[in-house]
Amino acid sequence: MSQKQYLKNQIPAVFVNLMGMLALALFLLANGSSMHTVLFIFIVWLIILITYLSITYYMRKKYMDTLLDMTEQLQERYLIPEIMTIPDRADDQVFYQIMKMAEKSMLEKIGEIQSERKEYKEYIEQWIHEAKTPITAMKLLCENNRSSFARDILTELEHINQYTEQALYYARSEHTEKDYSVREINLCDVVHSAIADNKYLLRQSNMTITMDELECMVYTDDKWVRFILNQIIGNAVKYRTGQPALHFSMVKSNDKIVLSVSDNGMGIPQSDLPRIFEKGFTGQNGRTGKNSTGIGLYLCRRLCDKLGIGLTAHSENKGTTIALSFQINDFVTGVQG
Amino acid sequence: MKKKILLIEDDFTIQTQLKTLLAGNGYEVFAVTNFSRAIGQIKDFLPHLVILDIKLPGSNGFEICSQIRTFSDIPIVFVTSSNTEMDELNSIMLGGDAFITKPYNTAILLAKIGALLKRAYPASQPEMISWNEAALHLESSMIEYKGQKAELTKNELKILYYLFRNAGKICSRNDIVDFLWDNQLYVDDNALSVNMTRIRDKLEAIGLTGFIKTKHRQGYTL
Repeated sequence: MSQKQYLKNQIPAVFVNLMGMLALALFLLANGSSMHTVLFIFIVWLIILITYLSITYYMRKKYMDTLLDMTEQLQERYLIPEIMTIPDRADDQVFYQIMKMAEKSMLEKIGEIQSERKEYKEYIEQWIHEAKTPITAMKLLCENNRSSFARDILTELEHINQYTEQALYYARSEHTEKDYSVREINLCDVVHSAIADNKYLLRQSNMTITMDELECMVYTDDKWVRFILNQIIGNAVKYRTGQPALHFSMVKSNDKIVLSVSDNGMGIPQSDLPRIFEKGFTGQNGRTGKNSTGIGLYLCRRLCDKLGIGLTAHSENKGTTIALSFQINDFVTGVQG
Repeated sequence: MKKKILLIEDDFTIQTQLKTLLAGNGYEVFAVTNFSRAIGQIKDFLPHLVILDIKLPGSNGFEICSQIRTFSDIPIVFVTSSNTEMDELNSIMLGGDAFITKPYNTAILLAKIGALLKRAYPASQPEMISWNEAALHLESSMIEYKGQKAELTKNELKILYYLFRNAGKICSRNDIVDFLWDNQLYVDDNALSVNMTRIRDKLEAIGLTGFIKTKHRQGYTL
């Protein structure tokens, strides 16, 4: 509360007081009082007036400052009417009422938006599940009637499936807490199932796949890791060059297991590398008409963060290596011996 | 004897196609069409394994599963399009043996079915498949012809297994590679040629000359 502004607001009161003083002075002088008496009364009056003004100013300021402090400390500031004491002053009460009303409409709006979002998310999830039935049916139809035509369709179906999965995980990545279960899984199995998910895509692009010994147990959610690997494999296919090759390797150290997926594709320019996990970032490769969305790796990073998996990318001129590092939990393995 | 599989799936296309796929892989399949009568049909058909969709009109897979478990221990494979943790947990709690999400990889589905059947009904004699006096021993990875034996690598065994299983039919190179990929052997076209040459050498050594015939531009046949 600024002092100057407060004083300005008090001008009418001061003015009324001065008028009163003037009237009293005239009255006293007319009644034959001495100049000394009048001056004395003036001074006393002024002292009382100034004291009154400063005391009310400081009390008001203290009240307002606590209110301001309380608001600043609140995370949801619009909830301040809930914790402040109901003011005594009539005009303050009006403001309090206004704040209450504003808060209520704010809460209603937030509730509305939240439930709309929830409904939308549920609708998206449901839609994806519905869409998976015809995808499955088409896949079976193609597998039962093998031909080069069916093979091409199967490749496209893998694309569709990847996009729907992306949408599903995007919708879910906000509320992931509810949807993962960490258990002991074999890295080898996840890698194989991720390759199986992209079989026709990899076959069509003539990808050579090699892998080291991957027999290793880690504690994580297999569905999520599979999704992440799918995105990485998808990228390797998308940015492939001449004779594409994909290599899976694993390094085990004391406290972590690092799964690396290396391709020999076009690689990522050094200047783009720090930003590839950002949402919507497509970089130089994206600008050369590769139909990049900037969503895949962003989602990978998001899911990895939630699962506590380290995600790093490495690229030198040609080829990219994406490494996933899983923490080995001493507590679990230690207890189980 | 053919193993019997009961299919409980409401989508008509998936139902018929899955039936074709399973029948093509040597199973006898029966599809339930009236889902409220599923239990009765299980009791009539006496399947070795049940494939169960979770979302069904007028019923649901969990219910059927817990009903089956009251009288039978047959393997139950859940297939569903919703891959939430809740569903997976429920299916395990109610006694499901496997949980596969759509769109499933047919190779994985078949492998899971095969593994479950093997576990539930262990075969007594070692697995062997034969054609024209030549016998392929799957467990020892050997091919035998008139008392002579040759050892096979993993790739070679799988290639021969595929040819034996489709004996008499023409198997395209693409189909063979697909099959190898389904068995987690990521072989490309060149490697297949190398493997075929090696197989032919080994076959010749045990007296099987010209056992695998090449059909120009179509593939191989036994």
